[in-house]
Amino acid sequence: MTTATATAAPLGRLLGAELRWVLRRPRTLVMLGVFALVPVLISIGVAVAGSRPGAGLIGQIGGNGLVLPIAAITLSLTLLLPLAVAMAAADAIAGETASGTLRGLLIAPVGRLRLVVMKAFGVLVVAALATLVIAVVGVVAGLVVVGGADGQLVTLSGTSVGLGGALGRVALVVVWAVVQLAAVGAIALAISAFTEHPLVVLASVLGGLIVFGVLGAIPSLNWLQPYLLTSGWGAGADALRDPLPLGGLLESTWRALCYLAVGAGLTTYRMLRRDA
Amino acid sequence: MTTALTEEPQVTTALAARAVGLRKVFGDTVAVDGIDLDVPAGSVLGMLGPNGSGKTTLIRMLLGLTRPTAGTAELLGHPMPDGAADALPHVGALVEGPGFHSFLSGRENLRRVAATEPLLASREIPAAVDAALERVGLAAAADRRFRGYSLGMKQRLGLASALLIPRRLVVLDEPTNGLDPAGTRDVRGIIAELHAAGATVVLSSHLLAEVEATCTHVAVLQTGSLVATGELSTLLDSGSGGLVVATPDVDLALRTLREAGATAYRAEGAEPAVVVRDGPPTPDVVALLVRAGVAVHEARRTRANLEELFARLTEET
Repeated sequence: MTTATATAAPLGRLLGAELRWVLRRPRTLVMLGVFALVPVLISIGVAVAGSRPGAGLIGQIGGNGLVLPIAAITLSLTLLLPLAVAMAAADAIAGETASGTLRGLLIAPVGRLRLVVMKAFGVLVVAALATLVIAVVGVVAGLVVVGGADGQLVTLSGTSVGLGGALGRVALVVVWAVVQLAAVGAIALAISAFTEHPLVVLASVLGGLIVFGVLGAIPSLNWLQPYLLTSGWGAGADALRDPLPLGGLLESTWRALCYLAVGAGLTTYRMLRRDA
Repeated sequence: MTTALTEEPQVTTALAARAVGLRKVFGDTVAVDGIDLDVPAGSVLGMLGPNGSGKTTLIRMLLGLTRPTAGTAELLGHPMPDGAADALPHVGALVEGPGFHSFLSGRENLRRVAATEPLLASREIPAAVDAALERVGLAAAADRRFRGYSLGMKQRLGLASALLIPRRLVVLDEPTNGLDPAGTRDVRGIIAELHAAGATVVLSSHLLAEVEATCTHVAVLQTGSLVATGELSTLLDSGSGGLVVATPDVDLALRTLREAGATAYRAEGAEPAVVVRDGPPTPDVVALLVRAGVAVHEARRTRANLEELFARLTEET
């Protein structure tokens, strides 16, 4: 007690341990593999359909491969990506409680606040990796399987953007999607902090997204739109317009940051008090 | 508390753990009902009690895993749970069974625990993990998945995580659960090593023989209350001081003895008898009973073992 001793393990080491734990988990790896398949499958579908013009975002991909990563991310954002994030958040706290390992972390001790940081980091890594896998595989599959207009992106507005500009737009969509997923992850982590059953987290997050989707589709509830996280999720396709309209992307980002703050606050509040 | 700390520092530092009026209520259930307990530094304290007597809840409050409803818990001189950052690095614990991830090997699980240990430098982790695995006899199975471990191996891994670094206090909740006789012997050896190294060990167990063999101090819990605490030898001596008087007139004997200020109760067993404790010397007791008209068939001193002591403490009233 007279000599100064460390009262906490270095934060970097904790984050490293969390990262290793997340990436060693078989379900994380399987999930990332599935995400790699999404753009591949779309590209095969588009290539098989040939030059017949399709409807919607997918229809734009034909002969314009660089649309693929953005389309794949937008499509996956509706359910698949949130599912991945919810799963990571469910494992992060509720799962650790269920396997009796949360107790070990608290006894080590990992301070309760640091534990929240560590867990949030793990969920964020999963969100970023899942989105990046879709983006990278999407770009490759778009260029190789679908083929581009001379390596250029033809925007919805009809103009052409060079490869560099197109990759910049993909990166923008990736960052935007990760922020949206971070909002989902923060809420999921808060639920995870309140329960010891990982399934409850999955069910609440997916149920919540479906309810949001239904509420957003009811015209008389239009006034609810600004409060629903999902109502801005179509904004990813804005990256395919020229000049790039930032309004929708920014608005949905602000909304996501509000959800993120609420989720982080609730998680911290609960974890500082939770029995283990 | 603070005044006591400044006036007699040697007293506070000599306690590895301390509970003062500790109470925990879950809904309508009182799990721990006002426990005062001192765990002297360097002791091996056996916590005994039937299932549901509050042993684990008490341990969880001492470790800061759950906040007491009332009272205070102290660990190595730090109030819990607020002083957790100062106290817990020096504490190794195995509470409510070993918790590990089934998809990682024993070594990987232990490295993850090691990464969270404040007192372990990063470069020392691999060696510390290997040493801990060696110490609990898991070195050969270290690279197998935890999923495939037997109950005893899981328990050994839990023990290894508590022993990753030299500790000032080690808390073991039912450490020999699921262990074979060799494993039980190993655990006894480890407890003896810890004791020899000057560490304090708090051990909860339902195996009385194990406590009797390894502990210097005992705390007996019953429905959330502490019914006895102290040095094992003292408690056993007080138990052996009991005088068993075989007599058919049990009720009259009890009344007479209690009027004379002795502690007396009905003895268990087939033969009618009373047990007298803290009373006058044996000849006086016998004389007293005979004068009162009690037929005394036999009077003898008994040597209690922990099992009798435990049974008496937890089954009375």
